[in-house]
Amino acid sequence: MNTDKAYLLGLMVGGGVFGHAEDAFRIRLPFKKWGSYLENPQRAGQIAGDILRKVGQMFRAIYNLSVQYEATKSVWTILCEGDTTSVKRDLMQYDIACEGRIWENTDIGKIVPDLTDDNLKRRFIAGLADTIGSMAKSHRRFTDEHQILSIEIRGFRFNAVCNLCKLLYSINCIPDQVIWNHPNIHCTKNPYYSQWHKGFKLRILLDQYARFGAFAFRTKAESLQANRKLQQQTHSAIRCEEREINVSPSTVHPAEHHSRLPEIIRGGHYLHFCHICAAMGCEHAPANEVKGKFADLGKFVIPFPILCKDSYAKINEIISNDSLLANRVYNKRLASVNGFLKIFQNDSTALIYGTNNENGYKILEVLQAIAYIIADESELNGNRPRGSYISIIEKHLNTHPALQVEVRVPDLLTPLVFYGNSRGALVGATNPSVYGRLIEFDRDNQFKFSVRKITEEDLRNDN
Amino acid sequence: MTTKRNEVSYYPEIQSFIETQLKSNFLVKRKEELFVFWGIGELKSNLIRILSENPEKCACIRNFVRNVPPLNLDIFALVTNGKNFELLILEVKLLKGAGLKEWSQLVGYCLVSKARYGLLLNIDDGASSRLSDILSAEEHISHIRTIIGDTFYEHCLGFMQWDSLTQNFEYSNLGYIKSISDLSDQIFNRFAEN
Repeated sequence: MNTDKAYLLGLMVGGGVFGHAEDAFRIRLPFKKWGSYLENPQRAGQIAGDILRKVGQMFRAIYNLSVQYEATKSVWTILCEGDTTSVKRDLMQYDIACEGRIWENTDIGKIVPDLTDDNLKRRFIAGLADTIGSMAKSHRRFTDEHQILSIEIRGFRFNAVCNLCKLLYSINCIPDQVIWNHPNIHCTKNPYYSQWHKGFKLRILLDQYARFGAFAFRTKAESLQANRKLQQQTHSAIRCEEREINVSPSTVHPAEHHSRLPEIIRGGHYLHFCHICAAMGCEHAPANEVKGKFADLGKFVIPFPILCKDSYAKINEIISNDSLLANRVYNKRLASVNGFLKIFQNDSTALIYGTNNENGYKILEVLQAIAYIIADESELNGNRPRGSYISIIEKHLNTHPALQVEVRVPDLLTPLVFYGNSRGALVGATNPSVYGRLIEFDRDNQFKFSVRKITEEDLRNDN
Repeated sequence: MTTKRNEVSYYPEIQSFIETQLKSNFLVKRKEELFVFWGIGELKSNLIRILSENPEKCACIRNFVRNVPPLNLDIFALVTNGKNFELLILEVKLLKGAGLKEWSQLVGYCLVSKARYGLLLNIDDGASSRLSDILSAEEHISHIRTIIGDTFYEHCLGFMQWDSLTQNFEYSNLGYIKSISDLSDQIFNRFAEN
């Protein structure tokens, strides 16, 4: 290990791909739109310069390899050629198999002990950030005020991500958010959505990364500066131990039992990314803050879809495949859209069709379902409204003030069903006293709990 | 309003970077502490100052200081583990394409001071094509060996570009010192030999 190898190791761990060729390997840079030569030809030219002048010269100086590049619309590839024996020897020293995508077979836990000081750690992280660190606009939160570097990782290597997070933490690059590749993080409302595995994202505030991290690519350093200029203030990260967490209700997803999730968290339901950190055993997780949320679990865990939007046929299929939903008696009615909107305008947190003050269907979710049902095709992007759902509803009410939707209200608090326009939607009820009784804590992990399947009896015994 | 920087304004960041890399590499290789002392300007008086400020850590340079001639430099580093030492001379330029003239300056400084290591650093730009060609083809220009009396001297030189945006070096593979980790290895091997 040395300071140059630490950087190159970061590059190779982040994007290295080994094939059958003995004398070559590739480093994949998934720069997507940010690095697209169609979207930003000037930056593309600079990326090419970074590859040849920074990476190329360093690979030549350290491993005597020559470097070329290829670019497609969204991916740049660094092609390293020559005698790869030394590179492979260095990688194998850390039990990194030189086969396929390196990240998929690598736990940086074996590399970290050789990163003996903050500088070596920073060099390794710079290599990772140059490959898989994204500063694309889509990462920005609701305003431009909190600019972010997102380190994006595919697969299910939770431990490796945990180790990387701890490595970042150790040099003060405290992650602002860890988007775990878990259904409770990627898919909090719809348990029927199977494409939830969108990968991991370690998000770090750019101000924090600018102080403690590094890039070797000029293009990345320039983006960092440009993005920081969009902010009015400088922001510091909050240490994980001192974090307050805000929990929103999340649906119980069948993929909580997915075989590729690590055993330590498999089968559990998680309220927040910090909850997964705690269950994974991270010493920095805000343990007491997480445990504090366990007192009100019935409010946060919903064993039904919170909001599921799909075709009429798919919603019918979902209902008929679930005996609890299929065996309900539904009160089918046409309801005034304006009536729902007025309830919302009066109290945006209102619950409707409940059996007491604590339960019922959230008007906010109901309106989102209605917006989906009544929208024109041009107002939707897939199942998502283009623009705000309230503006869609208001626009349709302006044209048809007496607009109604078909709603089916079940005899127990199973999901409310909406139909119209060949579309359907399910809205699950808030029902904390019933849902709280479904929680079963793990005997070995104080942060892990599962949610058993809800039954008709549970709903009938709603005392 | 941005003010145009002169080359001296880059010295602190370059010093800091090199020192950090050398210390990291030394820690990994030797598991012991390395001391790096910097001087800007005249060599002899700076060495005397460094010795007087750090008499224990720099005791090994006492004889060298006595014999070294006065010499005006950009920056130099005294690298020591307390037992052995090496001198690294930096010739820092802010030019469009550093050329043979600047290289010759570095060579002269190294020969006169007997510093074993020298780096020509150009800020945000590379070497002129003529210097690139010469350094690529003529190894002896960057790996100079001399015999003065009965004593053999070796001078190892390299050319690198300082990237002031990323605060990092862009290697050129020109010269005998290819990278900072290469420089670190060469210094540590010398320490190990002695």
